[in-house]
Amino acid sequence: MIRLENVTKSYMTLSGRNVVFRDMSVDFPEGVNVGLIGRNGAGKSTLMRLLSSVDMPDSGKIVVGGRLSWPVGLKGGLEQKLTGRDNVKFVCRILGVRGSGMREIIDFVQEFAELGEYFDRPVSGYSSGMRARLAFGTSMAFDFDYYLIDEVMAVGDARFKKKSRALFNERLKTSKLILVSHNMKLIRNMCDSVVLLEHGRAIYYEDASEGIAAYRKTGDKP
Amino acid sequence: MHRSVERSHFQIQRDVIYALLLRELSSTFGKNRGGYFWVLVEPIAHLLVPVFVFTFIRQRLIPGVEYPVFLVYGFLPFLLFKTICLQMINGVNQTKGLLAYRQVLLMDVFVAKAMAYAVIQAVVFAIVLTGLAMFGFDVLPPRPLELAAVLVLTVMFAFGLGLVLAAVASLVPDARSVVSIMFMPLYFISGILFPVTRFPDEWMQRLAFNPVLHLVEMSRAMGVEGYEPFKYLSPAYPVMLAFTLTAIGLMLYRLRFLARVTP
Repeated sequence: MIRLENVTKSYMTLSGRNVVFRDMSVDFPEGVNVGLIGRNGAGKSTLMRLLSSVDMPDSGKIVVGGRLSWPVGLKGGLEQKLTGRDNVKFVCRILGVRGSGMREIIDFVQEFAELGEYFDRPVSGYSSGMRARLAFGTSMAFDFDYYLIDEVMAVGDARFKKKSRALFNERLKTSKLILVSHNMKLIRNMCDSVVLLEHGRAIYYEDASEGIAAYRKTGDKP
Repeated sequence: MHRSVERSHFQIQRDVIYALLLRELSSTFGKNRGGYFWVLVEPIAHLLVPVFVFTFIRQRLIPGVEYPVFLVYGFLPFLLFKTICLQMINGVNQTKGLLAYRQVLLMDVFVAKAMAYAVIQAVVFAIVLTGLAMFGFDVLPPRPLELAAVLVLTVMFAFGLGLVLAAVASLVPDARSVVSIMFMPLYFISGILFPVTRFPDEWMQRLAFNPVLHLVEMSRAMGVEGYEPFKYLSPAYPVMLAFTLTAIGLMLYRLRFLARVTP
């Protein structure tokens, strides 16, 4: 269960205060795959930042019951100077996974990411595909209640994409996802319900297609 | 697939700081030997030139005290202070990607940075002192515990100032370069190269406003046998400033002045 209670979030800009959310409350119910949709600038990224606690709200509360992932496939967290293995170890450590648990996770990522000997070389020498595979593999190695996904999750070549999709669908049997995307086809396929962000408010639609219809209308009145 | 365990806030923070610390240390020293080399070369290059000039040209600068020992006990606390300060201001932008992990908070990054560079500089300190001892200098501090306390105070002072400066830099990004430049004049008014006791009294009273000078002189008073620190030395001054700056820094952090470090 993820719940936002009376969340206000604003940013100071040179031209004054820009309020993204004002007293916004929304519930992400348990056991539901939720799509997060809204026009550009509606606050999707801000909400993602709040959920992954990169940023704190000005006021209000964000309650996260259960384990919520970082944005899946996040590449910004990779340290260039460290090897792939050391990067995976770092993530294990911040999640409090040690000893045999850590070994299990390293073995999993090593096998899944197919980096070969590059797994023990600094990330700075990786191709962008290799980085993406390492980041995605690391995200999938841990067991979360919710996976947070920003836009596209397809990585690598066609064969690897297929493999990733299969693994991800496997995870979705036990976990749920929060998907941010402009691709309504993807939202319809993967999500049961949607949260539509508009004018600093969030509206929850239990039926995804209802929400998508509402989203299409938001384009009419700029 | 791993089932994660429930952890308290304190345990999470401890795990995160430990992870960041290891990451910082291993990316500084890395798999290539270059890391070790550069960490040592900077202080040694800084020390060699004045040691050469003052030892061979001016024979006795401070009565009863060997110049290289005097220099090392002044320069290394200064370097400790400077490194932590700069790392806190500049290092945040390099690690902002990590904040996307829910467990990692900006404060953890600050604490880990300060701890990592305190450890690195302590090792550098030990190596340089060992090197001096090999040349036959008497480097053992007469008051080692007090010296350790002075170094801890230096770290705290650098941490507090670093927090405040990081907040300023998040409002005015240009402040970063100004601060980097300011360390050069600070070096000269902190009495690193020659004792400020040689200045006229009137100058000394003005120089006493520089807290780093107090830290430097305190380090020498604890570490150099027979050293007479300047007469306006007041341990309370840097202690009070360290606490005040840390309090202001934490307040700015709490008010999310630092939040905009991440765009």
